[in-house]
Amino acid sequence: MKKKWSILLLTMVLTLGVALAGCGNSDDAADTKVLNVWAMGDEAKQLPKLAKEFEKDTGIKVKVQAIPWANAHDKLLTAVASKSGPDVVQMGTTWMPEFVAAGALEDLDSYTDKYAELEGKNFFDGSAKTTKFDDKTYAVPWYADTRVLFYRTDILKKAGYDHAPKTWDELSEVAKKLSDRGDDMYGLNIDGKEQSLGFMFGRQNGSPLFDDANKPVFNKKPFVDSVSYLNSFFQNGSAPKAELGLDVAQTFGGDAIIPMFISGPWMVKAVKDTVPDIDGKWATAVLPAKENNTSSLGGANLAVFKYGKNKDDAGKFLQFMSKPETQLKWMELTNSLPTVQKSWENETLKDDPFYKIFGEQMANAEPMPLIPEFEEIAQAYMKNFEQIYRGGADVQDQMDNFNKEVNTILKNN
Amino acid sequence: MDQKTPYLFISPALLLLIMFSLFPIVIAFVISFTDINLVGLADWSKINFIGLENYKNVLSDPIFLKSIGNTLFYVIIGVPLVIICSLGIALMINFSQAKIFQFFRLIFYTPSITNVVAVAVVWSYLYNPQFGLFNYLLSLLDLPAVPWLQDPTIAKISLIILALWRAIGVNMIIFLAALQGIPREYYEAAQLDGANRWKQLTNVTVPLLRFAIFFVTVTTMIGWLQFFEEPFVMTQGGPLDSTTSVALFIYRNGFQLSKFGYAAAGSFILFIAIIIITIVQFKIQNRHSDTQM
Repeated sequence: MKKKWSILLLTMVLTLGVALAGCGNSDDAADTKVLNVWAMGDEAKQLPKLAKEFEKDTGIKVKVQAIPWANAHDKLLTAVASKSGPDVVQMGTTWMPEFVAAGALEDLDSYTDKYAELEGKNFFDGSAKTTKFDDKTYAVPWYADTRVLFYRTDILKKAGYDHAPKTWDELSEVAKKLSDRGDDMYGLNIDGKEQSLGFMFGRQNGSPLFDDANKPVFNKKPFVDSVSYLNSFFQNGSAPKAELGLDVAQTFGGDAIIPMFISGPWMVKAVKDTVPDIDGKWATAVLPAKENNTSSLGGANLAVFKYGKNKDDAGKFLQFMSKPETQLKWMELTNSLPTVQKSWENETLKDDPFYKIFGEQMANAEPMPLIPEFEEIAQAYMKNFEQIYRGGADVQDQMDNFNKEVNTILKNN
Repeated sequence: MDQKTPYLFISPALLLLIMFSLFPIVIAFVISFTDINLVGLADWSKINFIGLENYKNVLSDPIFLKSIGNTLFYVIIGVPLVIICSLGIALMINFSQAKIFQFFRLIFYTPSITNVVAVAVVWSYLYNPQFGLFNYLLSLLDLPAVPWLQDPTIAKISLIILALWRAIGVNMIIFLAALQGIPREYYEAAQLDGANRWKQLTNVTVPLLRFAIFFVTVTTMIGWLQFFEEPFVMTQGGPLDSTTSVALFIYRNGFQLSKFGYAAAGSFILFIAIIIITIVQFKIQNRHSDTQM
């Protein structure tokens, strides 16, 4: 009888053991001397190349883990909940407020004393802004992303324009003319799922988004007018109302169903790679202006994770990544825009026809409002905007509704 | 001692069940009464108890109400379709033991073992409004193109077609197993009484499949109430939230917006709805079997 009991107990312990082993975080088992870095997206696969150089310089071993953007937020949530994680983490600029509020990022002020490279003044203002909360610095800008206008020079020339549209009026005029080329032809692509677009156009029309008392002003004239302006592209047929289910090679190449679109630096490589036959027939330009031509500024920062174990080495890694040379190398590997101002003095950036435009636009770019609720506000905006351009709702009514929603979102949190 | 021994034998399974099924449910229930978000996750002292606030808010959220409507649409159209189609195919495949019919069994089962995301990507090409296969076939017949995933109502139906195609396989196998369990004697007796094929189907096969049909109805219904992958991959709930299911709504609030309490409240409402619907189905089934006996 006794033997039976012990066998049973043994099975129980074993089952539990197996079950629990499944929950353990295998990262913790790694040598604590190794610097763990979490990076996101496709570009993260290139990071080990830079990390190798860092290893050679400092003798610190680096382990890079590449996480797809789609899983990154979940993965970071788990890290915060379990209070364990990497030493250095890449942070999308819009995620900063959320994770700073959660206390997941180390305050970098003590590091900036040690490493001059990390000081905010080295970086573009817009990028540096995304790292500062309550007068403290929680990250260093790594790469930037700003939106510019991509257009087909040959198609625009045929329509009678030898330059990119410079103002809002001109943009809508050109787009209309291009869409008149025939059925299923459009002028400008406006992506309804792009969360910063509406706010960017609002700012161009002189709308501050939030007033001095931090109350949303999305139902006031400047913002409403910018939404009406965007909506006009859908209503007069200059922009496709329904998703076409096509990618850039199909819309931008050949006869160009959509000869103009607004996007970020990664599209330069995408267009070059996927539609080589239009080489020399397209260009980028700074955004058309209304009151101003402010673009949105995004990108990613590097932060030291509070629950990491290797904080000193993490500082050295951040210093390495903030050197102008490293940033230029990173640009070569991934086409990401450097955030260190000094990098832009380099000829490869100054003389490249595409990068030059991005550099110009960077001087006129603002990050999205740096509040934890922004993601929810952006989602609400996209829903309301869809009601307008696709559902045919009244612009003013829908924006009143959106403003009310934003108020509830801000009050609830 | 003797009475306790069985419990000991099931204790490993019981422990796992408690740890990984019951315990999380209890935690989710507690969470649904709090305002936990990312900040609360990092520092538990910042979690506040807010009573029924989440439930009140979620029940007045227009998108949640819309997602309930969408989910009902999926269930009401999808469940009968799955049962009719999988039963029909099972009957046809059961018709003969020839090799070709075994091959059909494989063909109909394949969709249920392929990866949803891969399938959804392929189907979004089929549904593509410009050069998708479906619109191409329609154009051969001189029919106008259909906005498969762009029109609010048609998008829902497109997702149902995809999910139906995926769901047939498993349910067909269940029906096939049940069909092959019916003793041949019943059919012989029916034939002696002069019953034709249709009479045999309605008076012998379907009544004897009652439990299989019940099982498939309950599992399919629960599955469709939790409809998630197809809208998540193919439409992200659009256009105009017309394909957002309750499960997708919960995922969005919980994991994209970090509103864990709010999402937990939503998931509890879904949980309770599923339990009620299942109990109702069991009640109906019991009544039927009472009258049959």
